[in-house]
Amino acid sequence: MKGVGDMTDDEKLGALFRAAASDTAPPPGFDHESVVRASRRITVRRRAAVTVGGLALFAVVGVGGAVVLPDGREEGGASTVAAPMLAPEGPPADARRDERQAPPPAAAEGAPGAAQAPYAARGSGEADAAAPAPLGPGTTECADRQDPALRAIVEEYLPEVVGAPEAAITMECRPPGERGVNLEVTDGAARGVLTVQYLPPGADRVGGAAEGAVSRPTASGGTVVVSSRGDGPGAAAPFADRLDALAAQLSPRL
Amino acid sequence: MDDASEREFAEYFRARRDAVRRTAYLLCGDWHRADDHAQAAFVALHRHWRRIRDRGALDAWVRRTLVRAVVDESRRPWRRERATAEPPVESGGVPSASEAVTTRHVLVDGLRAVPPRQRAVLVLRYLDGLDVAATAEALGCSEGTVKSQTAHGLATLRAVLGDALEDLRPAG
Repeated sequence: MKGVGDMTDDEKLGALFRAAASDTAPPPGFDHESVVRASRRITVRRRAAVTVGGLALFAVVGVGGAVVLPDGREEGGASTVAAPMLAPEGPPADARRDERQAPPPAAAEGAPGAAQAPYAARGSGEADAAAPAPLGPGTTECADRQDPALRAIVEEYLPEVVGAPEAAITMECRPPGERGVNLEVTDGAARGVLTVQYLPPGADRVGGAAEGAVSRPTASGGTVVVSSRGDGPGAAAPFADRLDALAAQLSPRL
Repeated sequence: MDDASEREFAEYFRARRDAVRRTAYLLCGDWHRADDHAQAAFVALHRHWRRIRDRGALDAWVRRTLVRAVVDESRRPWRRERATAEPPVESGGVPSASEAVTTRHVLVDGLRAVPPRQRAVLVLRYLDGLDVAATAEALGCSEGTVKSQTAHGLATLRAVLGDALEDLRPAG
């Protein structure tokens, strides 16, 4: 075995790094069960969001459309008619079990089906006035950083990210009201992470945004921040040329 | 996941949890955040387990996920890191090299002054023992970038710690 004096610089550094990382390690704050539980919770939440989205789409296309189309001048017709049908009286059983799950009102407001209402209306001619109410602040105790309602709206304007895997995020409890989406995305040869963050009205932004980030005020009085970064230093950021347009499109929806 | 996959994951988790925690700790300098990052990486791994066909690439996948999460977090407005000219030292200043345990704290504190990407390169190379090629693969960058980031990271570390880095010695 080598003595310290016989080590190369790399070996010395390696020994130092290993010692620094192991000396003061406290007991782990998570175990296998908690990991599996969190994984399943996310899966359930995603499925619930998809289910709610499907029901919302059915309701909007099947019922909301029938109400709106005869009179396109009726402002807010789609949302005011469809919303009560989409939003159940209370949270679904899965959501009640976990306070971190997407809140039903938000899921209903921003579910894929609801998000597509303007498209259906545009197809009928002049129904931009029937745009849905802005999504607004989140209602979970800790901000949802993979918010399905926000993701549904993002996917509406950037369909290339539909099905993109969620990027890793920390379990940190962010202030309520915020929403976030972090996706591992591919844009041609560019790969990286696309981040969309909604900050509620009055939220303080400490420091600047990520490099190249685009922010816009939103219809609910908050701020949407869209950023993208490539894999590795100097790597092209995916959708870099579309961030500004995406922020502009998200602005009236959030 | 089916039972066999769950068992595979559990086995991998048991084998790698501590190593991933250590890597996360040197990446972010705080055990609580390290646990958050490590747990998030394992949760992501569990969710993608069936889609990762190359079981030999699990470590690389977790490393990549972990580094990305830590670097991303360092860029977020509410936790933006700023390199400082001096390491955040405990009261009493930089300890002497003979104080082995405290000295290691100096290394951890010094790493905080290294920009996140450079820090990630140093941690992967010197803690995880990856060579330049493996580090480049883990970080999704070129080998040249790894070499330059290593040089810059060590230079930053030396600039921050000064003689303390030269005096650092691993535990006997």
